[in-house]
Amino acid sequence: MEAVEEQTERIRMIRDSAGAIAMPDDLKRIRALRYREPGFDRAVWRQMCELGWTALRVPEAAGGSGLGMREYCALAEECGASLLPEPLISCSFAARVLAGAELARLIAGDMIIIPAWQERANSLALHGHTTLRDGRLSGRKVFVPMALGADAFLVSTDRGLALVAADAVLLKIDRTQDGGHYGTLTFHDAPAKAVAGDLTEAIEEATLATSAYLLGVMERAFAITLTYLKTRQQFGKPIGSFQALAHRAADLKIQVALTRASVEAAAATLDTSSVTALRRAAVSRAKARASDAAMRITREAIQMHGGIGYTDEYDVGLYLRKAMVLANLFGSATLHRARYAELATEDDDE
Amino acid sequence: MNDASAEAQDYNALADDEFRALARRFVEEHYPPELRNPLRRLHWRDNRPWYMILAEHGWLAPAWPREYGGMGLSAAKYLILIEEFERHGCARVSDMGVIMLGPLLIRYGSAAQKDIYLPKILAGEHIWCQGYSEPNAGSDLASLRTEAVLDGDHWIVNGQKIWTTFANDANWIFMLVRTDKNAKKQEGISFLLVPMDSPGITVRPIVNLDQHDEFCEVFFDNVRVPKQNLVGEVNKGWTMAKALLDFERLAIGSPKLSSYALGRLKLLAERMGVFDDPAFRDRYTALRLDLADHKLLYETFAEKVRRSEPLGADVSMLKIFQSDLFQRITDTMLEIAGENAGLLDPLDGNRSLHASGLFLQARPTTIYGGSNEIQRGILAKNVLGLPGG
Repeated sequence: MEAVEEQTERIRMIRDSAGAIAMPDDLKRIRALRYREPGFDRAVWRQMCELGWTALRVPEAAGGSGLGMREYCALAEECGASLLPEPLISCSFAARVLAGAELARLIAGDMIIIPAWQERANSLALHGHTTLRDGRLSGRKVFVPMALGADAFLVSTDRGLALVAADAVLLKIDRTQDGGHYGTLTFHDAPAKAVAGDLTEAIEEATLATSAYLLGVMERAFAITLTYLKTRQQFGKPIGSFQALAHRAADLKIQVALTRASVEAAAATLDTSSVTALRRAAVSRAKARASDAAMRITREAIQMHGGIGYTDEYDVGLYLRKAMVLANLFGSATLHRARYAELATEDDDE
Repeated sequence: MNDASAEAQDYNALADDEFRALARRFVEEHYPPELRNPLRRLHWRDNRPWYMILAEHGWLAPAWPREYGGMGLSAAKYLILIEEFERHGCARVSDMGVIMLGPLLIRYGSAAQKDIYLPKILAGEHIWCQGYSEPNAGSDLASLRTEAVLDGDHWIVNGQKIWTTFANDANWIFMLVRTDKNAKKQEGISFLLVPMDSPGITVRPIVNLDQHDEFCEVFFDNVRVPKQNLVGEVNKGWTMAKALLDFERLAIGSPKLSSYALGRLKLLAERMGVFDDPAFRDRYTALRLDLADHKLLYETFAEKVRRSEPLGADVSMLKIFQSDLFQRITDTMLEIAGENAGLLDPLDGNRSLHASGLFLQARPTTIYGGSNEIQRGILAKNVLGLPGG
């Protein structure tokens, strides 16, 4: 096992390099992309790929960096703090199972491949009624993020995975609160290419990365709120000097710290343990915490700001609306607590 | 006074269930069906048809005395009316003149002011907005700085208001202005009536998180307002406005928002297939009981109003609990909605299944009308007699 210092230094470098694209102080680009198709910037996406972000978890032998979940989570957190809409988590998800030419094109930024695995709300089930027969795909997938930006979809079926070109899919779009959208994909005998592998492990990584993204969201919303508490004057003093607000801010800090601890521990578990139940329990624990804490902190951020927090032009609301979208994506807190209860014994809580 | 009020019957003489049946018939016959259960508060252009129907039938101002063209309803009857309107899914009209200004003028206005303004509210000619909050005077409202300086027969108004609901619809604004900079901060404030088409007024709508422009900023640059547009005595505006805020705090504590949201939570739970889940059922029942008990508490305050007793500072309990409950109900909606929690538009295109919309609309209820932090301070100091503040 490598030295802890080396990894810490690498994580610091990843966070620094993220600053080239992730700019939490300037959300103009993020605002301009809201409710426009496809909801993100392809040029920025290519830049992210050039920085090796999509290939972070891809083994070196396959052209990636072969880095761990701790590094990936640090990156996802930076993306969350800046509300980046580019499909990093979706494409990294796909990159964990693809190989060969498709993987090469994906990590180069030439082809956006988004997994479409879900068939109903509130579920982590990877399979449902979608079928693959003689290279033809039939069925329906829901809640596919940024579907309008995909060149192809990686679809889970009753007989393994299949790649289907975006133009072979019937697409219905539902806009989301963060300015993006979900696609509902319908396939009627769509031509598809069978792909080896399955999403079972990769979805755990995507779920944890989403938790890390939420960690970035809540940290940034909390930082904006702290600044406001220190500067906004009412009754002749900064509102942060009122105990009612000061104590709540202290409680929110605890939630941020708990989430960080949980996300980092889960990342370490995925990096070091091969016991499926332990890995899943750690991910569920982190996602349950991150979902609840992100909602609580962003809600409180609005309240502590008062009227200005409820305006679209003030940034803190963008964080609430991002949390509204991601809190239940890859499973709600309730779903993950239920999964944790099934997987973990009291000893695992330690 | 108009014909409708002259013919108006004494609704208070009816038995409660007779009046309820009458109110129900009224909305069923007259309410424009396309306006039922709107997703957001309606602009004047959209609620105007219903406003004018209410006006025609003398039903626009339920709480005003009959001599001023109101229905003269007792609190008990007024509550029934609100319940029936709510049950039918009636939209709120542009009612700031009716609810806020009317009662204030009736209590503090001159005879001339009553004659000029009340009929124009009833006719839908004057649509009012309320100019209280300022960028640096939110929770600390009494620190407001928009000033009015007397210049011959006119007040010259300079400053800025914010969170002015539907200033973009209104043709008049009633506002608090500072008329004495040297007095203690509550004592140098006056109450002024200003036409929105006065030269020097600029309105800027503010889009909120629900993508709606109901709140605005209003800028005043050397706006000349006739001297007689000041209501009551100079520098006594704070007292009058506070009396009005008491009305607002009762209305703001009404169970209707939570009641509406709880119904939507049930529909959503059924749609998501979790209504029979024991954990959900426990949570739902807890919310249901919170609402039921809130209604009882609300009734005790309504009963005071019925007996014409003044409301004490303890009315703050209603506002705190109802807005908090409304938020907890909508928080629960998001939690059970799965990925649908993040949708911008209603689920299945069904306006009754709009978790994210209701969730966002619940956010400002703990902020406006005196934030819940301010209300808790009032409770602690004025009701519990705790020291400090």
